[in-house]
Order: sequence, then structure tokens, then C-alpha cells
Amino acid sequence: MKLEIQNVSKRYGKNKYGIQDFSLAIEKGILGLLGPNGAGKSTLMKMIATVTKPTDGLLLLNKNNLVKDPNYIRRQLGFLPQDFGVYPNLNAFEFLRYIGAMKGVGGNSLMQRIEQLLEGLNLTEAAGKPIGSYSGGMKQRIGIAQALLNQPRIVIFDEPTVGLDPEERVRFRNLISDLANDSIVILSSHIVSDIDTIADEVVIMKGGSLLSRGIPEDIIKTVEQKVFETNLEKEHLPQFKNSHLLVSTMRKNGQLLVRYISDRPIENSIQQKANLEDAYLYHTKSI
Amino acid sequence: MKSFFSIVRYDYYQRTRSYAFLITLCASLALAYTFVPEPNASYSTIRISDYIGYYNSSWFGYVTAIMTSIFLSLIGFYLVNSGIKADNDTRVGQIVATTPIKNLSYLLGKATSNFAVLFTIVCCVFFMSAMLFFLYNDGYPFEVLQFVKPYLLVVLPPIFFISTLAVVFEVLLGRYSVIQNIAFFFLFTALALASPLEDTHFMTDVFGSKIVTQQMITKVNDISNTATTSGLNIGYVLGNSKETKRFLFEGVDFSAAFILSRILWMLVGVFLLVLIAPFFHRFDRKRLVKMKVVTEQAMAKKRKVNAVILSALPAVQKDYGILAFVKTEMVLLYRHGKRWLWPINLIGMVLLTLLPIVTAHQYVLPILWFLQVGRLSELNTKEITYGVHYFAFTSFKPIGRLLFSQLLSGILLLLFLSVPLLIRYVVASDFLAVATIAVGGIFIVLLASTLGILSKGKKLFEILFFMITYSNINGLAATDYFGGMPHGSFYVPALALICLFLVILGVSVRYLQLRR
Repeated sequence: MKLEIQNVSKRYGKNKYGIQDFSLAIEKGILGLLGPNGAGKSTLMKMIATVTKPTDGLLLLNKNNLVKDPNYIRRQLGFLPQDFGVYPNLNAFEFLRYIGAMKGVGGNSLMQRIEQLLEGLNLTEAAGKPIGSYSGGMKQRIGIAQALLNQPRIVIFDEPTVGLDPEERVRFRNLISDLANDSIVILSSHIVSDIDTIADEVVIMKGGSLLSRGIPEDIIKTVEQKVFETNLEKEHLPQFKNSHLLVSTMRKNGQLLVRYISDRPIENSIQQKANLEDAYLYHTKSI
Repeated sequence: MKSFFSIVRYDYYQRTRSYAFLITLCASLALAYTFVPEPNASYSTIRISDYIGYYNSSWFGYVTAIMTSIFLSLIGFYLVNSGIKADNDTRVGQIVATTPIKNLSYLLGKATSNFAVLFTIVCCVFFMSAMLFFLYNDGYPFEVLQFVKPYLLVVLPPIFFISTLAVVFEVLLGRYSVIQNIAFFFLFTALALASPLEDTHFMTDVFGSKIVTQQMITKVNDISNTATTSGLNIGYVLGNSKETKRFLFEGVDFSAAFILSRILWMLVGVFLLVLIAPFFHRFDRKRLVKMKVVTEQAMAKKRKVNAVILSALPAVQKDYGILAFVKTEMVLLYRHGKRWLWPINLIGMVLLTLLPIVTAHQYVLPILWFLQVGRLSELNTKEITYGVHYFAFTSFKPIGRLLFSQLLSGILLLLFLSVPLLIRYVVASDFLAVATIAVGGIFIVLLASTLGILSKGKKLFEILFFMITYSNINGLAATDYFGGMPHGSFYVPALALICLFLVILGVSVRYLQLRR
């Protein structure tokens, strides 16, 4: 199973790009997409999921052109969009059977699969009630269930942890790790910690282009020995922000504890162990 | 005051920056083009016995104003009666609810924005009527006042009144859109039929047309030397353009009392808003919230922590059939709207069984089918409405399987409702009538589907279906799509051809949408 993205662009206006000349090849495992709003993560995922077509470039799955033959990927795709909806009058069983029909799966095993997925996602008790009465987190879990209905070989999750409580997020991360044994998993999130613990590879995007790609450890290396913490008076913060790449601020004993990235640290700064969030900010933010 | 104007302005932007509005505007212009028939046209719109006016500024101004007042009052309601619902659906309402804006200001803002939307259409019709004057006039000069005056006094007050009425209906019957639509139709009919006999009673005519038509009748009576002429026709009358006589109509001098009454009608609208403002739900969707709380509490009590074990899931079986689609689509059609509306369908089916077959076919069937307008208009717009399009559009063969199932479900629904009539025709061995009803059902489903795909919304079909049904009940043979009136032998093939055209158009556009 190999997904190839070759010089793909999505142009909206004359010089307006959602994605520009983007290339990537993915094999089995988890690929984490990181990037600020408007980086093109969702556009890229929608193109792979055949929701939208690229204006240039090629999308190939096992050498099959997905633009020419979208049904090739649709048969083996699990897709959880960021802003999906549900039919509020259907209950979970009915909705998932409907999605099953869309994916071309059925028979007795579909019902068993739905029951087990709902149980695994702790939705069995509510499964007979209309989805319109579900909370945001419950709807999100319905979204996860539908993505797994057809035993997908390629799974795309766009911001999957939105609405999930911390416990559910942990279970979801375990589920993704399991999935990646047999499938390609592409995952986007604003929450860096959701990605860094499970992704085999991370791609950082900005303005529709690829900024950085690699295993999390390699990406973190780019900011190693550049991350510092120091105490700062509150009134000095605005000026400090202008001259340093700020990662976070924390109030401590009436002062501010500031974490920042710099090649030339200020006096009394203590070097810190870099993490993926530092690297992400380093690549996407410019002073 | 600033927030009031902000509501009006941005609500207006939101509504008019849509493809559906553009299509509605084009349809309104097309309709306006027919308000004053071309000199050799085979139909008339306003006609007093055998008389129509000379094509001067007054005739163009007043005729188009009357037609706009009546048609836009009727259609306009259906066009704007979802402003609050839109805020609810987009959840902007929940933000509105937490702002300090008063109920009355919000509702008045909505009514004003409704008015602004309809006023935009009125402006377009106004310019179209002026253009028609230059195309068809009988050599009379262009007098701008003869255009402005009737639009100002005849058209704008009812349009404003209807704009407020749409808000009133939404507040009182917001959750019952079918009841809302039917109730307004009856109210409109009652208002239109109220026939003032004396001069002072013209003030009770909200559409403001009767004072004008009465003066036209008086003119005709004068020149034809008859005491009373009762042959006033307003609306599209086909095939009676022969033997038309002409009279000179020079407009109406409106009395101060009449002008005051027009302002009063607008104030009545505002007064209704003041009355219902305390009852506005302010987006406190109690029923849904209650359901959510119950569901979440049930979940919390019985919560067991499980996890999905992928290796334990049964292997999938491929199934590219459409049965599951059709079943779910039928469930969705059944559950659309309030369940207690189904007894109304049942009553319709009983009437199809008991009434004389001609009455059942000509009147009950189109009304019964029209009652399904909400279901049909959602057939293939609901994916986008509910945000399920990501799944639907990336499904395996979305046209051949999903779209086909949706059409089939819609057709099955209409045929199911027609079963009593179909059985009666089968018993009477009238298989042509059976075929006509079947093709009629297919036609209306395809029309719903194609217009839904083209406009990506429900309104266009809903308004058109309403107009078609209205014409059906008024016996306009040209709009008979279900064989309720006698037709020639080409009727069924012609209808089938239209169906084929609609299929090709709908499928092609959906195909292009999916390929984007």
C-alpha cells in the first residue's frame, strides 16, 4: 500500500492556492499533519479522500490515479472530516448502516461490526436514540465508528480529538496505533501532543506548502539547544515578544515564567529539553 | 439602533449572497416579463370584460404593480419565512441569544431584512416594467410618476406586511413548517377574496389592488355604457386575446384616507411583532436540550469503559446493492417533520378513495402530493444541509447508487400516497390514467431533485411546486403534470420526455459537482 502525492496544487483564484506544489509518499504507518489554520491540511486530506480534485499534480494509490478512478480509494477509505454532520432523525444503528451502504458493505457482518464498534466507543446505551440528541463528543465517536466500518486500508482523520474528553483521547490514540499495523493513517490536529506520541512521521505545513517532514525526533532536533526558560517582569513582556519567538508564558510568584526559542538567549535563561511543540512553533512562526 | 441596522444589513447580505437568491431573482424577472403581455400574446393578465388598457405609462405602472403586489405577497412569504430558522440551523441564534438585543429589536430586524430582500425583487420588477414600456408602448410618453406611485402605494405596504407576517408565523409556528405554509395560504386566500364594495372599504384591502381595478371597471363601464361590468380577470388567462377592445386608463388619484390606510397596514405588521415578541423562544430549544440531557445522563449512569479491538471485528462483506439506501431514505422521508402530520396524509388517502374519481384526481391528488413538499425538497439537498456530503459524495458510485435510491424513494412515497386512486383506475381498467399518475409522480420527484442539485437549496423547488399546485387547483391545464385534466395523445410521451431531460440535467450537474 503506497500513497503518492506528486506536485499537487489546489488553486482557488488566479494566485490563490490552498495547496501548492506539494509532494509526499506515504506507506503503512501514521503520518501526522501539523500546521496553523489555513496551512492546507484539510484541503490536502479532502483531495486524498476524493472530496475535492487537485488543479495540478497527481494523486496515486498503488499507482492508481485517484482523480481518474476515485472509486479505487473509496472502497478502502475511512474518512473523518473536521466538520461532518449527521442526520439527526436517525439513531446510531440506522446512520451507520446507511454509511455502510455508501461504502458498499453490508450483510450480517455489518450489523455485528456496528454493534462492536459502538460498544468499543462506549455508545451502546445511546445507540437507539436519535443522533440529534447526542453531545459533541458522542457525535465525534459516531464519526470515528463510520470511518472504521469498511475495514479501511487508508484512514484519514481531520482533527479527530475535537470534543473528546482526555480519557477518550487516550483510547483513541491507542486505536490509531492499532489501525496503523495494517493501514496508512493520516492524522491532523492542532494539538501537538496528540500527534507527537503516536505519529511515525510528521509533516509541518504552512500556507499550502510543506515546511518540514521527518520522524518526530529529527524534527525536534532542529530546535535542540535553542529552547530556554526565564523569569520576566510583566511589563517587559511586549518588548520581549517582539524580539524572541515565544512558546508559552506561565504566572509564577507574581512574575512570568517564559519559554522561548532563540539562538542567543538572554541572561539568566535556563536551557530546556525541546519538544515537538517547540519545533512546530519554530517552523511555523516567524518573528 | 446600531445593532438593529447591523442585523438588517448582515442578514440581508447573508440571504442575498446565495445562488438560490440569484435564481429566484431571475425567475422573478422572467415572471415580471409576462406581467404586461406583448401586443400579439395569446394571454392576458388584467382584463376587464373584453377590455384592456392602451399601453401607456399608467397601464404599465399599475398593472405590473398589482401583479407584483399579489404574486410577491404570496410567493414572497415562502421566500423569506425561514430567517429565524436559518439562525437556528447555523447556530448563530445561540450567539444572538446571549447578546443584550431585545426580542422586539431582533424580530423587527428580521422583518426589515425580509422586506429588504423582497424590496430588491420589487426594484428589479420595477425596472423590468419600465423596460417593457419602451418595448411595447402605444406611442404614449413615459411618465415616471405613473410607475413610482403605484409601486409606492400598492406594492410596498403589503410587502412590508408580509415580511412581518413571515416573522410572526416563524415565532408562533416555527417548528411546524407545513402548518405554517398552509395557514399562510388560507390567510392569503381570505385576504385576497375579501371584496370591498364601497370606497372607504378599499382601506381594508391589504394588496391595494381593488381601488385600482375598481377605477378600471368604472372606466370600462363609462365607455361601454353599462351599469356594471363584472368580467374582471386578474392572473394568467390563456387564449382570450382575440376581440380585445381598448380603453384609456390614466391612473388613480389616491385619497389621503387611502394613503393613511397603507401606512396603517405597515403599522399593523409592527404591532403584531410587538404582540408576539414576548413569546419568541430566543433559541431556547427546550425539547432538544431535554433530549440531550436525558441521553447524556443515561450514558453517564451506565457507562462502562470499553475500547475498540480491531482484530475482534468481523470481516466486512461487500454489498453494492441499493436496498439499504432505499430503506434508510424511506425512513428519513417518513420521519421528516412532525409525525402527527401523517394523519393528514391518511385523510388525503381516504378522500382519494371516497370522493368522485375526477375530483379526487384533479384536486385531492395534487394537494396530497404538495403536502410532501418538505420531504421532496430535501431528497438530495439534505446531505449539504446536514453536513453529510463528505460521506455521501465520497461514497462508492454516488450517482448510480445513492442518487438513484433517493429518486426511487421519493417516487415510491408519492405512488404509495396515490394507491387508493391507482386501485380505482385499475378497477376501472383506465391504465392510461395509472400511467399518467406514475409519470406525474416521477416528474415531480425529478423536478425536486434537479432543482435541488442546481440551486443547492430547497426554496426554488418549494416555491415552484407551490405555484404549480396553485395553478393545478385553478384548472390551468398547462401546469397539469398528473393527468388531472383531459389531454391529447402526446401528453404522456411529452411528460416522459421532460422527465428524461430532468434526469440528464440533474445527473450531469451532480456529476460535475462531484468531480470538482
